[in-house]
Amino acid sequence: MTWFHAARARLRLLAPRAAEARIDDEIRFHIEMETQRIAREQQVGQDEARRRALATFGGVQQHRETLRDGRGTAWLSGLSLDLKLGFRMLVKYPGLTLIGGLAMAFGVWFGAVTFQMFGAITSTKLPLPDGDRIVRIQNWDLKTSKDEDRVLYDYQLWRATRSITDLGAYRDASVNLVGADGAAQPETAAEITASAFRIAPERPLLGRVLTESDEAAGAAPVVLLGYEVWTRRFDRDPQIVGRMVKLGDSFATVVGVMPEGFAFPMAHNMWLPLHMNSAGAEPRRGIAIKVFGRLANGMSLENAQAEFASIGKRLAVEHPNTHAQLQPYVTPYAQLGVNNTDKLAMMGLSYFFVVALMVVVCSTVALLLFARAASRESELLVRSALGASRRRIVTQLFAEALVLAGVAAVVGLASAQFSLTRLGRPYIEMNYGMLPFWVDFDLSPTSIVSALALAVIGAVVAGVMPARKITRGLGTRLRAGTAGGGGVSFGGVWTAVIVTQVALTVALPAVAMLVRGETKRVEAYDAGFATKEYLGATLGIEDALEETATPEARAALEGRVTASLDALRQRLEAEPGVSGVTFADALPAEDHNYLRAEVVSLPGAAPRWVAAARVHPSYFDVLQAPAVSGRLFTTADLSADARAVIVDRAFVDLVMSGRNPIGHRVRLGSGAASDSNGAQLPWYEIVGVVKELGMASAAMPQRVPGLYLPVAPGSQGANKLIVHVRGDPLSLAPSIRELAAAVDGALRVEQVMRLDQVTTPLLWLFNLWLRIIIGLTAVALLLSLSGIYAVLAYVVARRTREIGVRVALGASSRRVITSIFRRPLTQVSLGVIAGSVLIFVASIGVGNTTQFRGSGVGGVLTPGELVLLGGYAILMLGVCMLACVIPTMRALRVQPTEALRAE
Amino acid sequence: MPSRPQTDALHGSLDLLILKTLSIAPMHGWGISQHVRQISKGVLEVNQGSLYPALQRLEKEGLVTSDWDTTDNNRLARYYRLTTTGRRALGVELESWRRFAAGLQAVLDVP
Repeated sequence: MTWFHAARARLRLLAPRAAEARIDDEIRFHIEMETQRIAREQQVGQDEARRRALATFGGVQQHRETLRDGRGTAWLSGLSLDLKLGFRMLVKYPGLTLIGGLAMAFGVWFGAVTFQMFGAITSTKLPLPDGDRIVRIQNWDLKTSKDEDRVLYDYQLWRATRSITDLGAYRDASVNLVGADGAAQPETAAEITASAFRIAPERPLLGRVLTESDEAAGAAPVVLLGYEVWTRRFDRDPQIVGRMVKLGDSFATVVGVMPEGFAFPMAHNMWLPLHMNSAGAEPRRGIAIKVFGRLANGMSLENAQAEFASIGKRLAVEHPNTHAQLQPYVTPYAQLGVNNTDKLAMMGLSYFFVVALMVVVCSTVALLLFARAASRESELLVRSALGASRRRIVTQLFAEALVLAGVAAVVGLASAQFSLTRLGRPYIEMNYGMLPFWVDFDLSPTSIVSALALAVIGAVVAGVMPARKITRGLGTRLRAGTAGGGGVSFGGVWTAVIVTQVALTVALPAVAMLVRGETKRVEAYDAGFATKEYLGATLGIEDALEETATPEARAALEGRVTASLDALRQRLEAEPGVSGVTFADALPAEDHNYLRAEVVSLPGAAPRWVAAARVHPSYFDVLQAPAVSGRLFTTADLSADARAVIVDRAFVDLVMSGRNPIGHRVRLGSGAASDSNGAQLPWYEIVGVVKELGMASAAMPQRVPGLYLPVAPGSQGANKLIVHVRGDPLSLAPSIRELAAAVDGALRVEQVMRLDQVTTPLLWLFNLWLRIIIGLTAVALLLSLSGIYAVLAYVVARRTREIGVRVALGASSRRVITSIFRRPLTQVSLGVIAGSVLIFVASIGVGNTTQFRGSGVGGVLTPGELVLLGGYAILMLGVCMLACVIPTMRALRVQPTEALRAE
Repeated sequence: MPSRPQTDALHGSLDLLILKTLSIAPMHGWGISQHVRQISKGVLEVNQGSLYPALQRLEKEGLVTSDWDTTDNNRLARYYRLTTTGRRALGVELESWRRFAAGLQAVLDVP
């Protein structure tokens, strides 16, 4: 029962008030009993007896303290007192609270966002029952280092494995869905096997999910709607189940609606049965599918990997032509391309970076706290004299930093949650498409705990570091009685902190200038024609082409698509306000394909990479770009034996060195190894020259030689529609969709935009960067200013007496200022120099990157930029010196008599 | 040489004295100090102030336990009593003390 008695005793001791009362009562009883005994035995009066009793007992207060310490909770009550004091300090020094708190909150925010993003990207947890047992099975092609998704043949064998149950597959499909308003719009659908609804067993909101019978050949076509599509397209029609809806050029019956948030397998809104016809599949032929399943009971991921590896080996022997290079592998379903080793390395790196940033930020907060603690040196000396140990005083200063870090952590976490869910997620989804359903941007408990740990690290750096420094030799100072006599001084560490910050403050705006310059360049991007008058759209025909296996079927489908697009062109041209319609494989200012061009009729000319566009013969007419020399394409150039190409001015300047290119012949290759025998490659004849029409993407700063090949609409990837409109091009968008649906139900119209909007996502990214860098600069500037201010204010306070004596002895204001300014001036100058060197080195580095090589950005600075940089450095010097104004004024106001009396 | 209370000799043996005293009957702190003084006829004087921290320590170790009770003259006092573990510990302490005393005696007895 020892443990029981001991535990009871400890518990009682933990209750602070009860324990205090008990100690007092016990001591009082003891003294009274002893008083009575002494009065009785020694025949003295009560007062004398009590005095003797107290003397025998020894210092009551001291024993009381010993008992309190013995309770083992002294540190607890001490800490709560320290925390209370810490809160008072927050209110008492609002400037420090604001600046230090903001800086720490920034560190916590950055940490929380990093932890959460990292967790979201690398998490393998699926919010599904048995989520950790759901796996993805893929075939890895060793030769191309890519996944081989044409696995219909393999799928048959995989179904027979023991380690996986509920094997299923899906593929993405973008289909035109006609909604309640009669308009056809493309939706992201998954053609999927019914087993998916056993893997993700969610009850439908209405109707039923897909079943195996829906997959049978000849089964009535059905569709399962997602909550979002049901809401947006059918206005939550409760009678939707059983209704026929138009999907592409056919009809399907709605069998059910899934609840909100259901998006299995990735981020899908609509589900169709997957008709695989896998029975007669040949190895590495047929449609591309993604395969998933669940680990069977008692089977581990390793068991499954072993079983699939053995299947892979067998297939490699049986089908050496197709499977020698293929390796099936099994991974957790939610794991997206990041393996565990990379994950650990990435995690280590990002955590290191986050902690490093926090330490840097908190070193400045430490500087501020140090200055504050130094100005409270007398208080600390008195506490020390009253018996507070060094550890006790360090704890107090740590508690003050902890309170600050705690407040900062709350602010940092709240803003992290806001920026992740309100800014980060919409931004990513807008630019990179919907995220998989398991990626969660809400701060996870792990991220919150990590961020709080970061705040504690910050508190240790900001609190303990200065506390240890200021309490060093406190006893000596106490004995010497030199409170306020200059025992504490700022060391090299603080100088380094200030220099680093000033350097960052100087260097960061240069990065902002670079980004701003890029933004301006992209904004000013000239595609060579009036992009505002044109509408661009992507026509969905590529998926349809992939399905067909035989070349004959492919040709037939291509013929159909060309016919449909031609029909669409004619219908569009008949629309009021439309003055031209054409097609290309990429919109101007977008990334183009690159081909290796060799001008064979120019002896000794080395092959060069050129941007190549496949365009409809009407392209240049519609873009109102007449031939500069030679001729434009005609429909005759579309024939199989025609060999005409058109080049732009950049081609003439960069490839032909200004020579007239008309009549010259070029060989075009993709740059692959098969091109090595150049003579085998087809050659083309340059028939015309046009001006530069946005062949270089807006992100590229250099001129790029451009080359045009003629193409029929829809063939060879020419699925971008360009329409020249008088008036507002965007007003035409609805009619394009209607006309496309009328011409061919399978024709999807996606990404409709004005051609000047091609650069919008890029500009957005640049703006985001710009804002982040401006934020960082502001934090660095704020920290260095407050750091300089704190140090100087402290120095002036310490040297009040010295300044007074100097003034008394007749020193001029100038001398006083010089003596005060020397140190901060040195620090700021060092910082500005370091920052300038950083900019110089970085600009040379930037100039040598592939992105900017030869573009004139970066490299050795021009005189103009040097002047700008010098001016900025001087400005920074001035701004930093502003932080010195108040302390200096204070120093100059020191009256000699006052200063001398201070001693 | 005038006799004086041998408080110094008590260093290290305070726990033993407390445990021994409590093995006779549950007692409050003042009672323990009086008992030691009376039995030793004033030779041993427990440092009263350090008695309570020692009691607190023994209680935390589970060797004694305490509760409020009334004294003979109807006053409320905190009574300490020995636990089973405390009784066992007393045996061990006593044995070790006796060995120590015998050793000390042997050294002092050498003429």
